Amino acid sequence: MSIPGATDSIDAPTFEQILEMDDEEDEREFSKSLVYDFFTQAETTFVNMDKNLEEKDLKTLSELGHFLKGSSATLGLTKVKDSCEKIQHYGQKKDETGSNDITEEEGLKLLRTTIEQAKTEFYEVEKVLKKFYHDE
Amino acid sequence: MTNSSGCPTHPTHPTHSTYVVGQPNPQSPPTPPRQSYTASHDHLPSPSPPPPQPDDDASLAIIFRYTSIPTIVLDSDLVIRQVSDSYVDQVSSESRREHVLGLHAFDFFDQHEAKINSLAARTAIQIAIDTRRHHYLDHIDGQFTWSIRIVPIFRHDTLQFLQMEFRDVTPERAKQLDLEERLDANETFRMLVQTVKDYAIFMLDPQGNVATWNAGAQCFKGYIRDEIVGQHFSRFYSEEDRANKKPEKEIFDALRDGRVEDEGWRYRKDGSKFWANVVITPVYRSGALLGFSKVTRDLSERRKAEAGLISAYEEASKLKSDFLANMSHEIRTPMHGMLSALTLLLDTHLDAEQLDLATVIHQSGQLLLQVINDILDYSKLASGCFSASQDVIHFGDVIQSVFKVHQKCCPEKITMDSNIDPRLPEAAMGDSLRFRQIMQNLISNAIKFTENGHVQMNATLEGEDEHHYHVLTQVIDSGIGVPPLVVDTLFTPFTQLDNTATKRHQGTGLGLSICKSLAEIMGGSIGFHPNPDGHGSVFWFTAKLGKVQQSHHIDVANTRLDALTLSPTTQPFEEIRLAAVNKRILLSEDNPINQKVMLKILAGLGFHSVDLAINGEQAVSMSIKDPPPYHVILMDINMPIVDGVTATKMIRGAGIRIPIVAMTANALKGHAEEYIAEGMSEYVPKPVDRNLLVKVLLRCLGQDQPG
Repeated sequence: MSIPGATDSIDAPTFEQILEMDDEEDEREFSKSLVYDFFTQAETTFVNMDKNLEEKDLKTLSELGHFLKGSSATLGLTKVKDSCEKIQHYGQKKDETGSNDITEEEGLKLLRTTIEQAKTEFYEVEKVLKKFYHDE
Repeated sequence: MTNSSGCPTHPTHPTHSTYVVGQPNPQSPPTPPRQSYTASHDHLPSPSPPPPQPDDDASLAIIFRYTSIPTIVLDSDLVIRQVSDSYVDQVSSESRREHVLGLHAFDFFDQHEAKINSLAARTAIQIAIDTRRHHYLDHIDGQFTWSIRIVPIFRHDTLQFLQMEFRDVTPERAKQLDLEERLDANETFRMLVQTVKDYAIFMLDPQGNVATWNAGAQCFKGYIRDEIVGQHFSRFYSEEDRANKKPEKEIFDALRDGRVEDEGWRYRKDGSKFWANVVITPVYRSGALLGFSKVTRDLSERRKAEAGLISAYEEASKLKSDFLANMSHEIRTPMHGMLSALTLLLDTHLDAEQLDLATVIHQSGQLLLQVINDILDYSKLASGCFSASQDVIHFGDVIQSVFKVHQKCCPEKITMDSNIDPRLPEAAMGDSLRFRQIMQNLISNAIKFTENGHVQMNATLEGEDEHHYHVLTQVIDSGIGVPPLVVDTLFTPFTQLDNTATKRHQGTGLGLSICKSLAEIMGGSIGFHPNPDGHGSVFWFTAKLGKVQQSHHIDVANTRLDALTLSPTTQPFEEIRLAAVNKRILLSEDNPINQKVMLKILAGLGFHSVDLAINGEQAVSMSIKDPPPYHVILMDINMPIVDGVTATKMIRGAGIRIPIVAMTANALKGHAEEYIAEGMSEYVPKPVDRNLLVKVLLRCLGQDQPG
């Protein structure tokens, strides 16, 4: 089962594993509820991220990044996951690979752009998934 | 007291002399008692003073009668003239002073009631009179101690009166005795410690400076007391020890453990060193640290003797082993030549008789070669130049191959069987060649000594710790068994069972002793017990084999690839469904989406009792129970309140050994090893791949049983 139009934003084997958990293929009740839970979780997290970006709370931003990374990884939403991992690193004042130190200002600057990028990526994949579940 | 006429009321006492100083003849008739109470006439040299003025006399008499200090007044004839009420009340058991008044003092003193030692009193009174100074006398009466002051009162060189005051000194006396006793004990100990020469015994102050010094210390260390007191004790240590802060560490350990003992080199004043045993004990008095006692023994002599013995033994042992090794080598080379030539000879055209003889030579040669190899092994083991190599042992392979070799060549009358514990890991770290050698030896022995019957081999996982598996291998036969008499010497070199004239069973008798050494090299042991079925023997050996953690965890990524590329066979899923029966899992995960997915996956695998902890703190409180409530814990790494690594440490700290599987999206190189090092058992990267999870769970459930 592949998802049209999302080859680079969704990791097929991972998402398929989720789909395999559905009891009836047509209903897709389980995976759909999971994906929609994720939409809610992502929206809430982005709101939180914006708020903490204003407050320049890097530590919380890193935690939020990690949190969303976990669930996006589980669903195989590769792009969102990668951006969230970067948010996690920047919040710890590390570069995107997590190996070199950066300053707080650099971190904040990178966070600002990366959070926006994550949102864009999320909205894109959200569209694809909604289509997949015939909601649009 | 006097009567109205002023005459004494007492009868003259012929046995007592009258103590009148200055009188040339003490035997002269007793002088009448003088009214010396009148102080107003003191300036008159009158030998017989005028009668007393009644007022004065009465008021002075009141002093002695009613003084609070128990008092007796004697006149110069030592007749008791006054007794204070306090004396009657407090000192004497004679309750009526009328019975005392008028008695001669010595008569009274002879009575028990007087509370005075008559003889001592006489002497004391004499001294007081002779010296004309007051004199003290102690009297111990049961638990009471009285201090008696005897005050001579002279007038014109003539004794007028003697005043005796009794003071109760019982408490002072007790204190004094106690103090004396303590001083005495202290002194004894001080002498003991100071004079001991075989031990250096001294005190350090709380900072570690030498506070006392004894003869032994002076003897060992060469310092005299004045040079060393006040110096820090670290000067007895080598520079290296000082650089490593060993003295400070010992003080610290002594405070923590209440005592520290150490053996090592210590240095004398002249720079020479001696091998010392040192015990440091903190000394407290009423809770406050007083300092440390330090007892040092010089073990140099003992150490020298020990070293001498050991080196002599090692030398002899090495010579023997070298000899054996060399000899075996020298014998083996021509032996190989002979056997090769013999093989060629057997291929030529020999007649029946020649063939028969050549076969005998060949068989004997093979046996001889085996013997030589055994000796070579033995001498290598004995000389200590044999160490087990560390490669990977694949139990299945080793056991099967040994088994097959023997199955092929064993007589038809013997049935063979093997039983391998499913919990045995696929592989472990150890010397597979030597592991195989022990097994081979035990099995060939079993076959050799079983004419018909069966030989069975069991391999079981006896236990495991963080780094090792303890593997027990048993070879059970229904053969001739081992007579109780020789059980003790089974593993002794060069002894063989059935060492009889018939000698049906060949061999050097080295096999088992080699196995014993090999098992010991592998951290295990070897042993024998009779077959509980009645006939035959059970030989077993254990080996401690390293876990191959590193390799299989580093391979996680590969395993995962395998899992993805290979279409999943149904087999592991059936296996996990079986394994999942009645198994309880704790899932510790904070992200609701991941919780949902994991719960679904686990339910799909047949795990129906999965509990959920949403942070590390919950995970800890849910799993630290006795018996452990879960068979496996799946632990997210990043969690609020308490993270997965800390939670794992806490769970391990509580002695819970069940498998904990780390789950994280931090799939960076080296992380797996890090988590394993923190006490986790397995590692699964996120997103969790179901096939990989199945593999990991099978490993976990196969190995550990809770409780």
